[in-house]
Amino acid sequence: MLNKKSYILIVSLSAGLLFSCSPKNISTRYYYENEKVLDSIEESYKALYPLGHFNVGFTSRDFKTVSLEIITDTLSYIYEFNIDEPRLIDTLAAYNLNAAKINALVKQMHDIRCTWINYSDYYVDEKKQTLILMSIKPTALKAPFSYAKYYVLTYFPQPQYFDREGRLLDKRRLRRLRKINGEVFRRINNKVCYAVAGHFR
Amino acid sequence: MKIYNYTGIQYFIKPVILTILIVLFTNTGKAFTPFDPGLPGKVTSTQQQAIDYVAKINELKSSAHWPNIKPDLFFKNLKNNIHNPISIYPGKGTNFCGYGALTYLFLQDDPLGYASLLIELFIEGKATFRNVVFDPSPAIKQAAGDLKYKGVLDINPAEQMWFLTLADHYKGYLNFFNRDYNEGDENTFWASVNYAKFNRMTKQLLHYKYDAMGADLMRPRLKSLYNYISEKMKNGTVVLFVNNRILHKKDHIQVKLGVPTHFIVAEKISIENDMITFIYWDYGRRTQMQVSTAFFKRIVFGITWFTKKETNAE
Repeated sequence: MLNKKSYILIVSLSAGLLFSCSPKNISTRYYYENEKVLDSIEESYKALYPLGHFNVGFTSRDFKTVSLEIITDTLSYIYEFNIDEPRLIDTLAAYNLNAAKINALVKQMHDIRCTWINYSDYYVDEKKQTLILMSIKPTALKAPFSYAKYYVLTYFPQPQYFDREGRLLDKRRLRRLRKINGEVFRRINNKVCYAVAGHFR
Repeated sequence: MKIYNYTGIQYFIKPVILTILIVLFTNTGKAFTPFDPGLPGKVTSTQQQAIDYVAKINELKSSAHWPNIKPDLFFKNLKNNIHNPISIYPGKGTNFCGYGALTYLFLQDDPLGYASLLIELFIEGKATFRNVVFDPSPAIKQAAGDLKYKGVLDINPAEQMWFLTLADHYKGYLNFFNRDYNEGDENTFWASVNYAKFNRMTKQLLHYKYDAMGADLMRPRLKSLYNYISEKMKNGTVVLFVNNRILHKKDHIQVKLGVPTHFIVAEKISIENDMITFIYWDYGRRTQMQVSTAFFKRIVFGITWFTKKETNAE
């Protein structure tokens, strides 16, 4: 029979395991604690993208496998490299992309455990808009049972509308929540939102 | 806000239920399906015939059957699909990929048939094509044109109408527990397509002779998967039913459920030093990737091979 102390200990440990990775721990605070580096990644990507469209991220848990998507008018090319593999730079150069800067971006993403970055399109009044979607696997989400969580940031080029609870809205007049990849996003500032999601893209 | 606060057990509930369903209902081993004799003597159409057909339509008025579809947007979408079949886009986060692959083939097989079917469906609210009667439910008619946050599908009401109609009409075992459309069901099992259902749809709607190998849970047993697929591609069109959770990773979970969820159309394949270079169509674009033969074997569950059995119209 378990005595009262053992029972409390087991319940506390179980609760700790279950809730130590609560999304509440990584809300807006995470962004502001890492604002400089997160914004720097976004700015680098935004500057490099017009020179040649690409998406990049890490598809292995140990952040050693880089997945690179190069998008041309006719075809998208998907490659996987080890982070230190020379083929990564050779491939970027072969597509006339800025290999040095993209490689630096990849290293920066690796250091902050940024799993993915890409441009994503959405539509407002039938007009195409784009945003930058960035997902991170912060150490706060490294706890047991938390492997299915990512901190996803969206960078909009223009200010967005939010409801009283800070949830991203479809547009000003329509009080419908805008979903991105099936998730409701919350306000960090008027152009940056976050969600905690099960997928990194 | 929807919070993914999965614990270990919660995370595995859905896959476990899905596995049980598949084990109960799937066909195993080699599934060879003889082709349907179809409508002998009937010719299919050309892209130009479809272009000429839509060019004769001066104006499309609103349809009372589809209250949320704007006719100008519908017509623009229809014309774009005829001119550029690659652009067919099943939408972000939906389970429409099977219908997308079917439509991509349909537009290459019989573009005029596709155009006239969609126009009839839009104007009349129902349509008949090759003895298949499409009579969508009121919920479908209400939803079409109003799907949001699916990328370019948001502004493609003809595709919304067509995919929803297909999902409403064709049912497989994956749709067993969710047969009637409710808002958001385009992302659920309501819209899912199992392998047999995909083959059934193509058999009924396309003028192709087809063979199929594989199943929902069993990979095809072949000496060389590469040789088999490349041989089939020489004389026809090949659709592969693949495990997209491995092909297009969205998380870092290492133990993945070994089930296929995605249909892709094979466009080109070659091999060098055990590495397969593979070009396929899905989601409105062509993609090239290089994978090892072992990885390729891991992801492919179904191979459906189509050859033209009727000549194109002159």
